[in-house]
Amino acid sequence: MHHTSSPFVPRCAAALLLALLPALAWAQATPTPNRVDGYGTPNTTAPSPPNPSNHGETELNILTSYYSQDGNRGAVEGGIGTQQLTDLTPTIILNVPLDSATRLSANLGLDYYSSASTDRIDQVNSSPSSSDTRFHADFGYSRALADKRTIVGLGAGVSKEYDYLSFNITGSWAKASADGNRELSVAAQAFFDRATLILPVELRTNGRRENGSDTRQSYNLNVVYSQVLNQRLQLAVSTELVAQRGLLSTPFHRVYFRETGGGYGAAKTELLPRQRLKYPVGLRLNYYATDLLQVRGYYRFYNDNFGITAHTFELETPLKVTPFFVLYPFYRYHTQTAADYFAPYLSHSIADEYYTSDYDLANFSANKVGLGLRYSPVYGIGRFKTPFGGRVAKFKALDIRYAYYRQSTGLTANLISADLSFTLP
Amino acid sequence: MTLPNFARLALGGLLLAGGSGLSSCVSVAAYQKVYLNDEDMKLANKRIEVYETNFESYREGAGGANGGKVGGGCGCN
Repeated sequence: MHHTSSPFVPRCAAALLLALLPALAWAQATPTPNRVDGYGTPNTTAPSPPNPSNHGETELNILTSYYSQDGNRGAVEGGIGTQQLTDLTPTIILNVPLDSATRLSANLGLDYYSSASTDRIDQVNSSPSSSDTRFHADFGYSRALADKRTIVGLGAGVSKEYDYLSFNITGSWAKASADGNRELSVAAQAFFDRATLILPVELRTNGRRENGSDTRQSYNLNVVYSQVLNQRLQLAVSTELVAQRGLLSTPFHRVYFRETGGGYGAAKTELLPRQRLKYPVGLRLNYYATDLLQVRGYYRFYNDNFGITAHTFELETPLKVTPFFVLYPFYRYHTQTAADYFAPYLSHSIADEYYTSDYDLANFSANKVGLGLRYSPVYGIGRFKTPFGGRVAKFKALDIRYAYYRQSTGLTANLISADLSFTLP
Repeated sequence: MTLPNFARLALGGLLLAGGSGLSSCVSVAAYQKVYLNDEDMKLANKRIEVYETNFESYREGAGGANGGKVGGGCGCN
């Protein structure tokens, strides 16, 4: 280990400036090249040394999660309704190497949710709004260029649920330095969505659940700069600028006003501006303390033109019980100010230009705590024959994670997730 | 909006560690990256975390740039 010569100093200075961005800007972010849901973005992490155990093999991941939440600030009933919801989300991710430089990826899955909150759209229990299934499929293509340090990627995807159809396209570019100590990655995405407008039952004038449709477009630019600091420490600074336009309100969210009270038929549907800009910036810092313990820290700062300012801090401390068995407790703290357009039940005035009683946009703090375990023995957990020409697949690793989440609004949530990794020769 | 003391301390520590690390920026050769190549040193969320980042982006109205959704695709009830 030695200190670098002069060409490296300006780079360090630039990295230091980038690292200080969170203290200077208003935003929130994290580098996440491993997106699973709704994106075809290929992995843009710095090229790592090839792993002889799975070089050239097809990788298959089966993920699933069960999410359950409860609270009494549901926006469907104007900020005073139930927030009870469960969501089951099986997902399959396939990563296929075409050759040493090219990969195809596919991400297929669904969300099956049951919601007591949306059930209240129709004011009748067990209405058609009580549950729904969302399907999503995303496909990606990535290629390492001749210099072996640049990876480009393209992707596209679609998702569909009862009242919402979405298409997305994405492109990415990542380049690592010659010594592999720095990387810059850029990913751009566009979403083109169409929502069927479903109004609360008492506000329907055409006698039908659906009241036409509206569109939403979202454009995201994600930039990540990562830097190795020394043999045990590395950081990443990232930002994801987001511009949305079109339907940003949820038509079945009710708002009750102080002048008109909370009687049946007194509500209006939520109304928000048709343009939103988000400015997130974040800092991630990982430290290899000892062979037993690592520290993963993350901070983000968020601001948008709705008036929300948020700070988020995360800490994870993986503990290697054995070289192949890791326990990782984690903690997350989040605090945000309310959107300019938020007010609780019966607090808005009918003179307000925009209004919502959706507590997702309220002023609150939230804590999340949990524990994960990963088991990944070097020769895999097991092997079995597949129907594909009798090829032998390897059950490579298992990751299980539980999280408990609590908001100061009273909302609580539990989530258990699992990730099973397989390889096919 | 004010951060609680423990969050301020943690944030200060994170920035201080990053700043001090940057101030002693060194070139690390490939053969010296045994620690940095560890699975738990990846500068990204784990794949399994995506469900959490998604629900957080819905429940907090402050999503984006964290692997969760940023407005497209919905599934947001």
